[in-house]
Amino acid sequence: MSEGLAIRIEGLGKVFDGRIRALSGIDLEVREREFLVVLGLSGSGKSTLLRCINRLIDPTEGRIWIFGEEITAAKGAQLRRLRRQIAMIFQQFNIVRRHSAVTNVLSGTLGRASLLPSLFLKFPQSEQERAVAALERVGLGGRERHRADTLSGGQQQRVAIARALLQEPKLILADEPVASLDPALRHSVMRHIEALNKDEGLTVVCSLHDVDLVRRYATRVVALRDGHLVWQGRPHDLNRDTYKEIYGTEAEPATNATI
Amino acid sequence: MPRGNELIRSSQRFEKNIARLQALAADAILIGTFGLMIEFLVVVFSCRRGPTGLLITSEEALGVLHYAWMAAGAVILAFAWNLFASWIGASPGRALIRGVPEWEREIDWTHTLRGWFTVLFIEMTFFSGWLITEVDLPSFFTKFSKASNIVHGLVHPSGAVLHQGLVLLVQTVFLAFMATAFAIPPAFALSFAAARNLTRSNRFSRLMYTAVRTGMNFTRAVEPLVWALIFISWVGIGPFAGVLALWVHSIAALTKLYSESVESIDPGPVEAITATGAGTLQILRYGVVPQIIPPYLSFTIYRWDINVRMSTIIGFVGGGGIGYILKPRVDLGEWGQVGTLVLLIAVTVWLMDLISAKIRERIV
Ligand SMILES: Nc1ncnc2c1ncn2[C@@H]1O[C@H](COP(=O)(O)OP(=O)(O)O)[C@@H](O)[C@H]1O
Ligand SMILES: [Mg+2]
Repeated sequence: MSEGLAIRIEGLGKVFDGRIRALSGIDLEVREREFLVVLGLSGSGKSTLLRCINRLIDPTEGRIWIFGEEITAAKGAQLRRLRRQIAMIFQQFNIVRRHSAVTNVLSGTLGRASLLPSLFLKFPQSEQERAVAALERVGLGGRERHRADTLSGGQQQRVAIARALLQEPKLILADEPVASLDPALRHSVMRHIEALNKDEGLTVVCSLHDVDLVRRYATRVVALRDGHLVWQGRPHDLNRDTYKEIYGTEAEPATNATI
Repeated sequence: MPRGNELIRSSQRFEKNIARLQALAADAILIGTFGLMIEFLVVVFSCRRGPTGLLITSEEALGVLHYAWMAAGAVILAFAWNLFASWIGASPGRALIRGVPEWEREIDWTHTLRGWFTVLFIEMTFFSGWLITEVDLPSFFTKFSKASNIVHGLVHPSGAVLHQGLVLLVQTVFLAFMATAFAIPPAFALSFAAARNLTRSNRFSRLMYTAVRTGMNFTRAVEPLVWALIFISWVGIGPFAGVLALWVHSIAALTKLYSESVESIDPGPVEAITATGAGTLQILRYGVVPQIIPPYLSFTIYRWDINVRMSTIIGFVGGGGIGYILKPRVDLGEWGQVGTLVLLIAVTVWLMDLISAKIRERIV
C-alpha cells in the first residue's frame, strides 16, 4: 500500500489507579484507509486501547502518533485539534438524550465551532444544512427535530454516526458499535461505518465481538488478551485455533458454523 | 514492567497499612467509649439520690470522667487486642474496617470476645443514654396540666392576628423564594467545581474541588439562625436579613445537592463531546448540563420548600416573615394567637410540600 501511517503506537501501557493493569507493551501500526478490527474478551483492554488513541484515557507508558503527530505529547489546543481528526463511536451511543437529533449531529462540529454561539446551541447555516444531509444519509431524514431519546437504539447509533460524519475526521474509532443493538440491525449500522471507510477513505479502528462481522468488514484483525497484543492477521486467517488463542481454551466460537 | 509491578505492590502495602491504622483507631474509639460509659455509670450510681435518681446532674457526672486516662488506656487495649488477635479473635475495629476474618465467620457470637463486647457496648449505650439525657417518665406522665393552657390555646386559635398573619405569610413565601432564586446562579457555577468526576484532571481543579467543598461544608454547618444574626446586625432587622441568611445557606446546600447530581451523570456523553475536540465550556454545556437540568429543578423546588419552613424560625430572631410576630406572642403567653400563627405556618408548609412533590414528580 502506498498510503502513510494513520496511527503508530509504541510500547503503550496503561495502569489504572496505580494497580489495575489494562494494557502492556502494545506496538501497533495502522495504515490509512485500513479497517482494523480489534478482538478480545471483555476486560481484555479494547476500550482502553481505543481511548488511549484519542487520549480520553491518558496512557501510563508508551507513545502514540496520529498522522505523524505525537498525540501523547499534545496539550490544550493542540490536543483538541488532533482530536478533531478522530471521531469516536460508542457501544452506548453516548448521544445527548435531551437534545434533538440535529443538535446531536451538530455537536460533531464543536471542535471548529465558535465558542459563544455554540454555548447557546447556535450553529452556522451551512453546518445546519450539512447536519440535515448527514441525517438523511444515515436514513433519518425528517427526524431532525425528534428528541434523541425518542429514537430507537439503532437510530440513536446512526445519529452518532452522523455526528462523526460532521466532525470531518480522518480516523474513526468505534468501540463495539453494534454490541448493544439487535442482531438484525447490526449490518444496517456497520454498513454506514463501512461506507465512511470505503467512500470517504477514512481509517477505521473498530472493536467487535461477532466473527461474522469481522469477516465481512475487516481488512485486518488484531487481538488483545489480558492487555497484550496476542494475534494479528487477515480476517480469513481466523480459525478455530486462532480463536482459542485469543479467547482461551475454554471458549467456543459463538457461531460454530462460520469458523 | 518491573517499575509498574513495584508501584502496584507498594500501593497495595500502603493501603493495607492504612486499613490497619483505621481498624486500630476504630478499636481505640470503641474501647474508650465503652470505658467512659462504665465510669459514668459508676459515678452516677455511687451517689444516687435526688429527683432523677441522680445526686449530681448528668452534666456534672460527665464532667468528672477521666477522659485522658481512658483514651490512653483504650489505645493500649486496642493495640493489645490487635496484637493478640490470633488468640482472642479479631477486634471489633478490624471487623468494621476490614471485615470479619473468614475463619471466624462461622463462630457464634456468644463464643467470641468481640460478640460479647458488641452486645455489652450496645446495652451500655442505651443505659447511659437514658441517664445522660435525664429521661424522667414520672414528670412526663403526671405534669401535663402545666402545659394544658398552651395546648388549649393552640386548638382555640384567635382571629385577632389572622389578617396580620396572612400578610406576613405572603412575605415569608416571597422571602424564601428570593433566597432560593438568587442562590441558583452561584450554586450552579460552584457545583461543577465541587463535583469529583469533573475535577480529577489536574492539580488546579483538584485544589478548587477541595476549596469549594470545604467552604460549602463550613457554610452549611453554620445554622441559618446564626447567619440571620450576622445579617441582622449587618443590614438591620427585617425580611432582607432573612433573605440573606437563607440565601447563604441555600447556596451551600444547593451546591452540595447539585454537585452530587453532577457526580451521578452518565459519563458517556462527556466522553463523546470531548472526543469531538470540544473545549471545557462546550463539554460542560453539551455533556453535562442537559443531564443535570431535571435534578437541578427538582432540588431547587425542594429547597424553596425547606426555605419556607426555615424562614419562620429565622423570623423568630428578627429576620422578617411570620416568625417575627410569633415570638412576642409566645413571650406574652397569648396562646390563642400563637395557635393561629402556628396553624397558618403548618398549612403553608403542608401546601408547599404537596405542590413541590407534585412538580418534582412531573420533572423526573
Ligand atoms: N476507569 C477504569 N478504572 C479502573 N480500571 C479500569 C477502568 N477502565 C477499565 N479498567 C480495567 O481495565 C481492564 C480493561 O478494560 P477495558 O479496556 O474496558 O476492556 P474491554 O473494552 O476489552 O472490555 C479491565 O480489567 C477493566 O476492569
Ligand atoms: Mg469495552
